[in-house]
Amino acid sequence: MKKFVALVGTNTAKSTNRKLLKYMKKRYADDAEIDVVELKGLPIFKKTEEVFIPQQAKDIAEKIDASDGVIIGTPEYDHSVPALLSSALAWLSYGIHPLMDKPVMIVGTSYGTLGASRAQAQLRQILDSPELKATVLPSSEFLLGHALQAFDDNGDLKSAEESQKLDGLFKDFLEFVDLTEQLVNSKKLHEQDAATFTWDNGTTGDDK
Amino acid sequence: MVKLVGIAGSIGEQSYNRMLLEFIRDHFKKSVDIEILNINDVPVFNEDEDHNDNPVVHELARKISGANGVILATPEHNHTVPAAMKNVIEWLSNNVHPLNGKAVWIVGASYHTQGSSRAQLHLKQILESPGVNAFVMPGNEFLLSNAKEAFDDDGNLKDSRTVGFLELVMKKFLTFMKVIEMMDAPDPKNAHEEDMDSKHPVNTTVEDVDMTDPEWVEKAAEKTHAASGGDYVKLDRGLLTVDQLNCFLNSMAGELTFADDNNQFIYYNKNADAAHMLAPRTPDQVGNPLSAVHPDRVIEHVKQVLYALRTGESDVVSMPAQTGPNQHVMHYYRAMRDENRRYRGVNELVIDIMPILKYYLAATGQKLVKDPDAVPMSPITGLDAVTGASAHSDPTTDATSGASASKSAEKPAAPEPVKDDALTGASEEPAADAAPKKPEETPTDTDATTGASES
Repeated sequence: MKKFVALVGTNTAKSTNRKLLKYMKKRYADDAEIDVVELKGLPIFKKTEEVFIPQQAKDIAEKIDASDGVIIGTPEYDHSVPALLSSALAWLSYGIHPLMDKPVMIVGTSYGTLGASRAQAQLRQILDSPELKATVLPSSEFLLGHALQAFDDNGDLKSAEESQKLDGLFKDFLEFVDLTEQLVNSKKLHEQDAATFTWDNGTTGDDK
Repeated sequence: MVKLVGIAGSIGEQSYNRMLLEFIRDHFKKSVDIEILNINDVPVFNEDEDHNDNPVVHELARKISGANGVILATPEHNHTVPAAMKNVIEWLSNNVHPLNGKAVWIVGASYHTQGSSRAQLHLKQILESPGVNAFVMPGNEFLLSNAKEAFDDDGNLKDSRTVGFLELVMKKFLTFMKVIEMMDAPDPKNAHEEDMDSKHPVNTTVEDVDMTDPEWVEKAAEKTHAASGGDYVKLDRGLLTVDQLNCFLNSMAGELTFADDNNQFIYYNKNADAAHMLAPRTPDQVGNPLSAVHPDRVIEHVKQVLYALRTGESDVVSMPAQTGPNQHVMHYYRAMRDENRRYRGVNELVIDIMPILKYYLAATGQKLVKDPDAVPMSPITGLDAVTGASAHSDPTTDATSGASASKSAEKPAAPEPVKDDALTGASEEPAADAAPKKPEETPTDTDATTGASES
């Protein structure tokens, strides 16, 4: 059975993304073991002389390393991903590279109609950056709008249409994880890049 | 001097973006005052928490609110804005919105060729979201690549062409800020469109406090973390504590009232109880929209005064209120304008000029006599428009002064002197109401001693 790490992109207690990820964990329990992981508690990313990485980030990295793939649930704050999530991704690409070539599925919820569409687009771009180089499931937007009304008392999605759509995407993700096994040609190169990469003289155009 | 704040998006130990901001601050210090804000200690944003619990966040909000514009210097992390920068913006788009309507200039430095191009695009997108709602200067991208080699040992940019470009963009930004300021200014197309309900907040409006709340002052002060008591306020020109400022304003030889450009009554110098004031105001009225402190039937007249001042048609409108042999109370409405000449509200002074007049006569050994050649005039100055509008008013209204309809073809009727306060008075008398009167009554009834009528 596949093992996935599901990152909750926000720290709020009332997160509907957490609800969605927990729903997925329950719904797909026969196909995969999904570990819903909180980012709450992670400090804002900061570079230091000694390349300090908080223990919580190291723990998350370990879980990701041991997994077959990652699901990220993101809300949208100010037309983009929450600072907490972007901070987590910075920690997870600071001297460690757990997401490199790791299959990633993005989902997102919002209170309004748009379902975090802009945040999801940005998240793809971020995951594509040279320090992260994750392998994101293509053509797979799952935008859950009006999320406050979307779940019933059992935490299940009320809309059959939405849950069927999610089923399809998740099935695709399972297949995608297997498929990416075959994408080995650039993997070596990525690993080499990662080994020699530093944020200061890096190959990326990135900067402090 | 124009005041800007700058934020470097990185909280790393070494930051070329901070260096860039410091260079900009030092290079332009003769013309622009730039304060660089520290964001190192801003906690992780959590929508469950109230920013009021965090002094770092509201200090940032206060400084941004007080600035004419903001410069954001962003590096690029993982193809986006650093989490530290985004985190600050999240705080500043939740309970407080200091970037709302603020002019923002984005710059960025990077180690390599990209110069934070993608981060700058993301930042623009973020700043344009409805919770932030800043005005980002379009075009004029300033991308400093190869930042490591760009500065000399003193932190100055080495390349003179880069410095030249920076100067050019700074000049544009200063203009951009003025343009953005003007966008904020209410722009009624005629007197009728003056918004007496104060429903179009300007950049000084304290939002989310009920304007009609009797404790508006206390609540708005809390919301803005207003200076008070012994806090110093830098003025043009001087430095006073809030207490000193109160002593000073409350001892003015007249009653002062401030209504802002959103037509909100936000201040009066409370030196007496309403019962002892020439134009009574009460403490609970402060914060009210002007519509709440005027009887309906004077509203259109007040609008005409405001519109004349706002548009610059007049700098001062004056009108008599209570008049008689021993008293001649004048209301002076002055337009207040900032350094960009933007209308920022009306300054109303209510003062009894009779003691001044009597002193002058006594001191110079003169007395008043009736002038047989006097040309009748409207006791209201600075408001030509009103006379035209007055043609519609009720001709039976009792009026005893002003030019008669028969005396002036251009001005068929003159407005009546107000017994009311055009700004905040709650009197039932019409302000600046006008009424044509019978010609034969005009000159003889006029009170020769005061030059104005007793009504």
